Amino acid sequence: MRIGYYLRLALKSLARTPGLTALMMCAIGFGIAACIVMLTIYHAMSGNPIWWKNNVLYAVTMDTWAPRAPFDSDRPALPPPQLTYRDASYLFQSAIPQRKVMMYPIKGVLSGAPGQRHPAPVLTRATTADFFAMFDVSFEYGGAWDAAADRGPDPVVVISHEENERLFGGADSVGHSILWNGHPFRIVGVMGGWWPKPRFYDVINGAFDKPEDVYVPFGWGPALQQLPVGMVACWGDTSHDTYAGFLGGECSWIQMWVELPNAASRDRMLALMNAYAVSQRKSGRFRRPLDNRLTRVSQWLAEQGVVTNDSRLLLRLAFAFLAVSLINTAGILLAKFLRAAPTAGVRRALGATRVQIFLQYLIEVAALSLAGSGLGLALGALGLRAMHWLYAINTVDNSGYQELTHFDPAGLAWALALAFLSTFAAGLYPAWRIGRLPPATYLKSQ
Amino acid sequence: MSLNVKPVVSALRHNRAGAMLVALEIAIALAVMVNAAWIVAQRVHAIETPTGIDYHNMFAIGIAGVTGDFNPSAAEQADLAYVRSLPGVVSASVASGVPLAAHGQGDFFWKSPEQRGAMINPRTMQMDENGLKTLGAHIVAGRDFTAADIVPYSNDYSRLAHEALITQSLARKLFPGGDALGKALYTGSDNLVTIIGITNDFMGSVVRADPSYDTLVFPQTPGTDGFYYILVRTRPGKTQALMQAVVDHIAPSSLDRVITFAHPFDYFKQRLDAENRNVVIFLTTITALVLAVACLGIFGLTTFNVSARTKQIGTMRAIGARRRDVVAHFMIENAIVLIAGVLVGCTLALGAAYWLTAQYQLPRLDLVYLAVGVIGVAIVGQLAAWQPARRAASVPPSVATRTV
Repeated sequence: MRIGYYLRLALKSLARTPGLTALMMCAIGFGIAACIVMLTIYHAMSGNPIWWKNNVLYAVTMDTWAPRAPFDSDRPALPPPQLTYRDASYLFQSAIPQRKVMMYPIKGVLSGAPGQRHPAPVLTRATTADFFAMFDVSFEYGGAWDAAADRGPDPVVVISHEENERLFGGADSVGHSILWNGHPFRIVGVMGGWWPKPRFYDVINGAFDKPEDVYVPFGWGPALQQLPVGMVACWGDTSHDTYAGFLGGECSWIQMWVELPNAASRDRMLALMNAYAVSQRKSGRFRRPLDNRLTRVSQWLAEQGVVTNDSRLLLRLAFAFLAVSLINTAGILLAKFLRAAPTAGVRRALGATRVQIFLQYLIEVAALSLAGSGLGLALGALGLRAMHWLYAINTVDNSGYQELTHFDPAGLAWALALAFLSTFAAGLYPAWRIGRLPPATYLKSQ
Repeated sequence: MSLNVKPVVSALRHNRAGAMLVALEIAIALAVMVNAAWIVAQRVHAIETPTGIDYHNMFAIGIAGVTGDFNPSAAEQADLAYVRSLPGVVSASVASGVPLAAHGQGDFFWKSPEQRGAMINPRTMQMDENGLKTLGAHIVAGRDFTAADIVPYSNDYSRLAHEALITQSLARKLFPGGDALGKALYTGSDNLVTIIGITNDFMGSVVRADPSYDTLVFPQTPGTDGFYYILVRTRPGKTQALMQAVVDHIAPSSLDRVITFAHPFDYFKQRLDAENRNVVIFLTTITALVLAVACLGIFGLTTFNVSARTKQIGTMRAIGARRRDVVAHFMIENAIVLIAGVLVGCTLALGAAYWLTAQYQLPRLDLVYLAVGVIGVAIVGQLAAWQPARRAASVPPSVATRTV
């Protein structure tokens, strides 16, 4: 195995036709760059940020929608993604799940923090206490409130790392009091940095939005008679003179997740949901066919269409472009290698075996692959910067698409593998062809 | 000049694999380019769909009450009074949503009570009597709201006004006969809503980045749950300055409400178009690159073929071929490969178009795009081989007699 010798031959051969070599490198480079950009974005969009809990976390949905038509005419098989207050409250009482959370986004205005000159609007989530433990949210200071505080509801609040920086300069603010919607609340916890992409726990109200900055116990919406600010979908008799009417009606606005450690508890939970639905039918509710579900995060993300059609389309197109580049390379390599047939003939006559010839040209292909892949990675990084800049103007639903344009280590590994292997594959056929040539023909002068 | 095809065909047969690879490359490139151009056309059309509002000269400010007992009416009146006092303001209005933005509501309406008959799900908006003027929209039939029509705000989603304006698009969908004026619609709670006017088509608030002309406007002051939006139309060029003036006035002077955002409408339109625009940019880049790679490939390969076959070219010249016969030889060779590639490419392009229509609900490919693509690829593909072919012509006949 004379790798060094073959390598020298390969580099000399590549240098002999600098234009063609440059053309092949550029074609491969751009094709790979396009794929890297789209793969990174697609991978980020379709990733499951809580994959290690995929077997225990379930989204709870029930089809309580109007009998006349499905909730979403574009996806008629899906039940409404959120629950009504009545249904969520009932299911929340169950002791079957190991942990459970129900939540909704709510309007929030913060004031009274030291150094705060004006009241400031904040993205707020009203949730039960298990939210933080279920979704593996880490705390920089303090922790979550407990179930008793949920029942109060106690005037306690958890704020995000960024909000803590803004209000208290990053210091330990546990125990401090701030005004939320005009009422005094006590800070019990400050989260560590947390931005799951996508925002799996609430893909309905902005799948790539930044998580909320303020978290208050679930009961504060009803306590202050405040409406949720996320999606509220109502049907039927929505006439309600009172807030109590809104709570008791067929408006779905609460997202519910449960943690079920094994299949047995999952079956028991589903049985509970179905039994409840059947019993509710007696009072005229649940008029659609029974469709109560517990959906894992990975499937939830797929069902709710988190990865847009556009990303899929652009990804496929990027691969088509790469295919063109690779075919281009294969064609040029084939022509080039066949033209070097006389040289190969001489070497065969001197005793080289077919395999040795094949190996030597394979090394040339490998050298080209490395060069093209390197260029492709560099161009891909540039392309991601460009996408980052393009997405700096956020899309209409406030999504954080920008945040997807970062090269993660896993993506880098995949990109390197793709680049090298695809280019290598393109050169396999030409190298094999020249290995097969009978030397005698080419030893004769033309 | 005789079109001697036989030597061309035999040359191609010697390098079958190479020729097939080029043809395949052309085929995929054609399929990619034609479909990419078609998708770009759809997206550009979507971006250029008229909004129906004077968005270049408008801004919106979002207001939220701080405490539970916030009184929106008083705040709205104060804010509007200030805005209208500023020179350069054409019209100002308070609303429960922002057109072109993801701030707003939608609702279900039926043509008969008890939720029978056709149902429609338009965007809804509460505005005051200056709403249409602020948007730059106008009445097409019936009448606009007057101050007397405006119903005070209510925290009850069902306490809506009983009159409404609808856009032409909505009117046509509900009453194709064209007699929407004066007709009644029913909400889910069987509240009756009479259509008193029809407006030109304008886009309401947007859900899931999918703008629509189906808008229904209620004459009601907004303020449910302490939210409202101030929409202002200004004279051209004054939007940014006036918006800043209003923000500077409201922000410090109010402890009972906060500004949740302040943006010119250009900002909302840009964000609405962002996804489409990015797709257009990406597709255009890919198309250009694909064409470049294919052309450079043809150029490189032809150059290479020429340099590899100098002996054959010399022989041709030695036995009497003129320079332009040599050029023709290579151009015809290239043309045959192009034709093969284009034929396969058309099949691929049509197949891909069919699949795109099925998968992504794209409208059916306009065959003009395919025709233009074929002609374009043919011309550019031949041009790419022109220069190397011409260089082939300068190979002297004496090369034929050399043995090296």
